Amino acid sequence: MLRYLTNRVVTAFVMVLLATLVIFLIANTAPGDPALAQLGDLAASNPEYVKAFRAKWGLDLPLWERYWIFLKGVAHGDFGISIMSQRPVLDDIRDFAPATIELATIAFLLSILIGIPLGILAAVKRDSWIDHVARFVSLIGVSAPTFWLAFIMLAVFYGWLEIAPGPGRVDPIALLPPKVTGMLLIDCILAGDWETLRDAAAHLVLPATVLAAATLGLITRTTRASMLESLSQDYVRVARAKGLPEWRIVLGHALRNALIPVVTLGGLAYANLLTGAVMTETVFSWPGLGRYTFRSAVAVDFPAIMAITFIVAVVYIAINFLVDMSYAFLDPRAVKR
Amino acid sequence: MTTKYRQLNRRQFIQALSASALGVTGLAAFPGFAQAQGRKNALLIGLDIGDSITFDPARLAQYSSPMTVHNAYDTLVTMNPGDYINLKPNLATSWAYRPDGKAIRFTLLKGAKFASGNPVTAEDVKWSLERVINLKDQPAQYIAHVDKVEIVSPDTVDIVMKDPTQPLLTILAAPSFSIMDSKLLMAQGGTAALDAKEADKATTWLNGNSGGSAAWNFTAWERNQQIQLARNPNFRGEKPGFERIVIRHMSESAAQLLALKRGDIDIAFNLIPEQIATLKGDPQIDIIGTPSLDFIYMAVAANAEANPALAKKQNRHAIGCAIDYDGIINSLIGGSAVRPVSFLPVGVNGSTAELTKQIGFQQDLAKAKKLLAEAGNPDGFAFDLTYSNNAIAGVSYQNLAQKLQGDLARVGIKVNLNPIDQVNLRTLFTQGKLQAVLTFWNPPAVENQLWASATVNRVAKRVHWVPPEAMMKIVNDASAERDLAKAAVLWRKYQEGMVDAANLFVLIQPTYQIAVRKSVAGFKPTAAGWMAELGVTKPV
Repeated sequence: MLRYLTNRVVTAFVMVLLATLVIFLIANTAPGDPALAQLGDLAASNPEYVKAFRAKWGLDLPLWERYWIFLKGVAHGDFGISIMSQRPVLDDIRDFAPATIELATIAFLLSILIGIPLGILAAVKRDSWIDHVARFVSLIGVSAPTFWLAFIMLAVFYGWLEIAPGPGRVDPIALLPPKVTGMLLIDCILAGDWETLRDAAAHLVLPATVLAAATLGLITRTTRASMLESLSQDYVRVARAKGLPEWRIVLGHALRNALIPVVTLGGLAYANLLTGAVMTETVFSWPGLGRYTFRSAVAVDFPAIMAITFIVAVVYIAINFLVDMSYAFLDPRAVKR
Repeated sequence: MTTKYRQLNRRQFIQALSASALGVTGLAAFPGFAQAQGRKNALLIGLDIGDSITFDPARLAQYSSPMTVHNAYDTLVTMNPGDYINLKPNLATSWAYRPDGKAIRFTLLKGAKFASGNPVTAEDVKWSLERVINLKDQPAQYIAHVDKVEIVSPDTVDIVMKDPTQPLLTILAAPSFSIMDSKLLMAQGGTAALDAKEADKATTWLNGNSGGSAAWNFTAWERNQQIQLARNPNFRGEKPGFERIVIRHMSESAAQLLALKRGDIDIAFNLIPEQIATLKGDPQIDIIGTPSLDFIYMAVAANAEANPALAKKQNRHAIGCAIDYDGIINSLIGGSAVRPVSFLPVGVNGSTAELTKQIGFQQDLAKAKKLLAEAGNPDGFAFDLTYSNNAIAGVSYQNLAQKLQGDLARVGIKVNLNPIDQVNLRTLFTQGKLQAVLTFWNPPAVENQLWASATVNRVAKRVHWVPPEAMMKIVNDASAERDLAKAAVLWRKYQEGMVDAANLFVLIQPTYQIAVRKSVAGFKPTAAGWMAELGVTKPV
């Protein structure tokens, strides 16, 4: 078990380094000058300003030196200063990440809590109406473009039916609770501010549903397929022959074995939700990391791009690691092998 | 681990998950709109504030932040919405060039107070302007010709210039040159000393507070989320009708439209022409149009190495004669735009829509063909038109480029479309490496010289144009001329020269359409660079 663990940790470390190197090279070979992205027209044509700008952001140093500075900074927990927002990248991320984590977590819970039961039911009652519903849901979820779905949801539930609140995290007039975690639901609970909590939760429903749609589709589909396979195994027939109640066969025997691909997928899906919410965040004016990432890329903001890449790599690798560890829990053979 | 233990664990896990799921759905089932009460006292604005970096006046260089700064701070002089030629007194009641011509003397308003209660003094004027100069951030460039600020008496200051022929008054109306509460700012780490670039620490404070004397007090900024302003209790003028303003970040125009219709915001700034069209006739919403001073233009380089055909002036004139200017404005922006002669927008001294009819390019296909023949390209030629993938004022560059492609094809000129990203475009264009570009211009301050000197200096380099001496002299003389009528005559000559050079074709100067709910009265948009005067808005 220990060797399994160290192996994973070392691989993870090398992967993170490789990921930052690749992104560093890509970002630096992309055409477009960050000085020109940030400076106004007059300043951008003034060599003095451009020179001062490059010196300030270290853009005049050779490539390898800049990468070395980045690595040294990371080792000290310092990601440098964002060219775009002109303050430490970590401050930016601390500001924007909680909104995304909150949204992604709710979306993830939604997709698991609906997706897995729906997948199980679809497999157990194969070709019944519920199976068709499940297939329809996963088809829509996987194939509807997020951007389109987000607008339709807003237009229908906010604009037309008027049962959902609009874009943003809370009502514009709401007074925010003191910032502790940055996640509004938690901060509201800590502050005992139930009114804002309700408002924040209501504001989460539409974006979380939109964000969950694609993941929900995938999870439903995978659970169904995996369950179907499990249900046709010999041990299920044995269990039935032993006269076990059907729910125990499904939940206790088949599901447990069917969960491995679902857990793998779920882990990746969560990482995906955390890092891939750009469209949803844009439409719902959600002040999150997705939007920040997009703007940093457009503005060729190297420090921000590098920091986000690093964090995304760490998130993926950490989740992958957790998924690997959970195999040990779900299927002890994975460790022995 | 035993089987039993694991099962229990999983069951607990599922129970916990179901409980939290119920919690979330339960909460969501009662969407609380309890804040209706506070809404009546607040003005709610939907605006894309994603570009905001700072609200420190001395560091302003973005598009959305000047509105907040202008409504929290006063400048010495200002401009009334709609009149971008005649200056209006603000903290200065009168001003005149000193007899020696080297300085402008300002007499300050008596009794004006900052939001803190401190009086506005000559000391504050000196401190604020010197801080801009010594911080050496982007706004410093526009007053680089200011030598120093001298205090003559407690309510009189002289701004002494190194080069008094360079314009200053109009520039001082821009929010960057706001007069700040120097006592308050120094207590927050601000300094106007020569080493301000390193020593000033006030920017962080200014990003969430203000030290001004205008109708509003800037009280909070949450990045990509919202900006808040509260009524300034010490404001000398009429009290605003609202207690506070919340500027909500809404980057998507469709979301702004929905929020406006629902009444979640009172004013929507970023609607595109098609969305504005759907609001016409809505009993609860007014559309307020304001001609901007921004424009979209096509720059064509006379670089024989890159494209020999474009280096010939007749060919560039042929392009100017082949473009369907009215068609562009009618089809791409629903008619809500004007077109200036050249690089001076309609509305500033010496530029009117009428003048465009007299001396600007007009579509004349026969003339275009004749010019092509004279240039030795009777069958036309080809060139690359580069543009970015985004849209300005609801006009996508892609659509505009395709329209131009169609127009020019009618006289045999083939346009190769080359969409690239904005930063890359700016890089290549600034280096003078592009044959033709579609791009956008918005001024940092309403001053003719800023537009004109750009066209004969840095933009001229980008399009490989060497302006004749006479042209440089016209720009210098017009900028130095203090009589508006005489200056207008010179600016007309400048525009004629620009048309003759035929490197820059200004296509669309949009009329910004802002949708305002009828529950708000007195909203006054402006093109002067700070979007709107918010002090005079009132609830109905």
